[in-house]
Amino acid sequence: MSQIIWDGLFVGSFYALIALGYSMVYGIIKLLNFAHGDLYMLGAFIGFAVLASFGGLATSLGLFALIIVMMLSMVITGTVGVVIERLAYRPLRGAPRLAVLITAVGASFTLEYGIAAIAGPNPRGFPIRLTGDVFVVLGARVTLPQIVLMIIAGLLMIALDTYIRRTSTGRAMRAISLDMKGSLLMGVNVNAVISRTFFIGSALAGAAGVMAGAYYGKIDFLMGFIIGLKAFTAAVIGGIGNIRGAMLGGLVLGLIEAFGSELVGGQWRDAFAFAVLILFLTLRPTGILGERVTERV
Amino acid sequence: MRTPRRTTALLGIAAAVLLATTACSGGLLGGEAEDDGEAASGPIKIGMVIPISGSSAPTGEYMENGAQLAVNEINDAGGILDGRMLELLVEDEACDAQQGVASANKLVSSEVVVSVGGYCSGATLPQLPIFGGVNIPMIIPAANSQDLVREGLKNVFLINGTGLQQSTAALDFVKKSGYATVALVDDNTSYSADITTETEKQITEDGTAEVVLNTSVNAGESDYSAVVRDITGSGAEIVYWTGYYQEGGLIIDQLRQAGYTGDIMVADGSADATLAEIAGDAAEGVFATMTPTPDTLEGAEEWIADYETEFGAAPGPYSTQSYDAVRLAAEAIENAGSTDGEEIIAALEAISGFDMFSGPLEFTEEHTLSNGGFVILKMEGGTFVLEDSLS
Repeated sequence: MSQIIWDGLFVGSFYALIALGYSMVYGIIKLLNFAHGDLYMLGAFIGFAVLASFGGLATSLGLFALIIVMMLSMVITGTVGVVIERLAYRPLRGAPRLAVLITAVGASFTLEYGIAAIAGPNPRGFPIRLTGDVFVVLGARVTLPQIVLMIIAGLLMIALDTYIRRTSTGRAMRAISLDMKGSLLMGVNVNAVISRTFFIGSALAGAAGVMAGAYYGKIDFLMGFIIGLKAFTAAVIGGIGNIRGAMLGGLVLGLIEAFGSELVGGQWRDAFAFAVLILFLTLRPTGILGERVTERV
Repeated sequence: MRTPRRTTALLGIAAAVLLATTACSGGLLGGEAEDDGEAASGPIKIGMVIPISGSSAPTGEYMENGAQLAVNEINDAGGILDGRMLELLVEDEACDAQQGVASANKLVSSEVVVSVGGYCSGATLPQLPIFGGVNIPMIIPAANSQDLVREGLKNVFLINGTGLQQSTAALDFVKKSGYATVALVDDNTSYSADITTETEKQITEDGTAEVVLNTSVNAGESDYSAVVRDITGSGAEIVYWTGYYQEGGLIIDQLRQAGYTGDIMVADGSADATLAEIAGDAAEGVFATMTPTPDTLEGAEEWIADYETEFGAAPGPYSTQSYDAVRLAAEAIENAGSTDGEEIIAALEAISGFDMFSGPLEFTEEHTLSNGGFVILKMEGGTFVLEDSLS
């Protein structure tokens, strides 16, 4: 039982990290950024490339090297996120939502097959593997890397939450998500804030990518697809557009999956997760923490 | 908005006209001469649908190289049917049914005489009616699901051991090593589920060991904690994973991290060095049911050397089978004395004792190998070595 909860929370923290980017972007420009899962993949590949170029030096440094690589990867994926927004989404900001959605799918494929063309379609083993001691906590086997990764994920989420609630950029983000035109009239530099949102969201996905690479040990160019959909599900469960909702949604989805696969068998895991998505969309489309916003005329 | 659209339309028309004229002139110039000429003296085209992209792409490369090596050797020796050269046409299946069908159609329209491809059973299965409809014999080097031969199609020949034969090898090893409890895990693909179903049936019929778990996972994920919990909870002494190495590597790693101490065995889809790259140290000591690979075959050193000089890399899984598939195709065409599908099929059925890596070839009634040739390999120091030849 405790093992199931722990497994669920661990996977859930990955979902949460990625769901944050989904939710932030949706909250601010009402766009489902389907390329988001692929930024996670990109993050993993950048981590791979950096580690591979440093060779043995990086592997001997272990966790420390991993954190440096993760930061580097966050900066690069963040920048890529900003570039995608600038090239693919901003020109379409006035266009119908469907057009932007299709563009997002296009951006997703571009990233996937671009990486497949550059790095090759073969799955790669990640150069650094996190291994560590095993503790038994309340009957659950918990490994040191799991704890470290969850702490990193937690710190990133707390930092983001503080940033959005306490800084002026954060306030600008919240203002834009309420009323973009209004914010523009109040002198908020909307484009700059949206760029920054994309940077942060993409950087978090990149961090999750490096963490997944180091923990699971395998990366491939399609690794972002399923997890992107799962993160979307997590964002919807938590209430899309709501930052704390995305974190909560990620953990809840992780737990739902863990218990679901225990109940009906592992091969039903995805079916179960997406059935939950459908349930939420029909019964409570605003999610757990989402609130119905009155439509402005 | 109007001008650009009109320009595009005009450009389109211009391009179409250009294309049409070139196509016409090609037809006019080459037309009749080509019709007769190609049938009698042009190269004989051999088609190969294998994974070039996607997760199984590394194996696709081994297969293409193996086949190309055979083509080169045959051409260097003067070709077949009085000096006609072989030409290998490779198309991608990406381990995907739709892609496989599209590629097979493409090969049929480029008039291949024999197909020597087929790695992922799920992608190969829908190709059967396409090649079968125009009577093109398929010599399938790697794909080995029982489904491929279930309908008894005349044009389908498997030169890899089948799921049935692999299950027998798994059972033999389980009995020989005295395991009492077995857990079976597949990835829900046609190939993989085939082996677990068959293995469970055989183990249950045999009665020496007991199947305590038979479950499936979804391919393409990273987290397999659910199946890991099931396995550790089932108390199985050996786990038999029948999917591909990507997920196999992750499951092995996660099993060991979760403290599983029993043995692990994988089927031929996971018997690849990449398994060790993904699973790391956890892959050490993993068993595999596999048809002999070049480096576990006795007396293949010279062949391996040839392969390495040609492609600058070591051969891998299914290089030998693909090499043999092309040689077998050439032999059958030569024996048939024609490139007619019916006659090649008859020649293939009549083949007896043709020398291949898996031993002298003889097809059974259902066009599978009379001897599957599965052996047990064991992972030692990151590569699979021969553990037990089961003979």
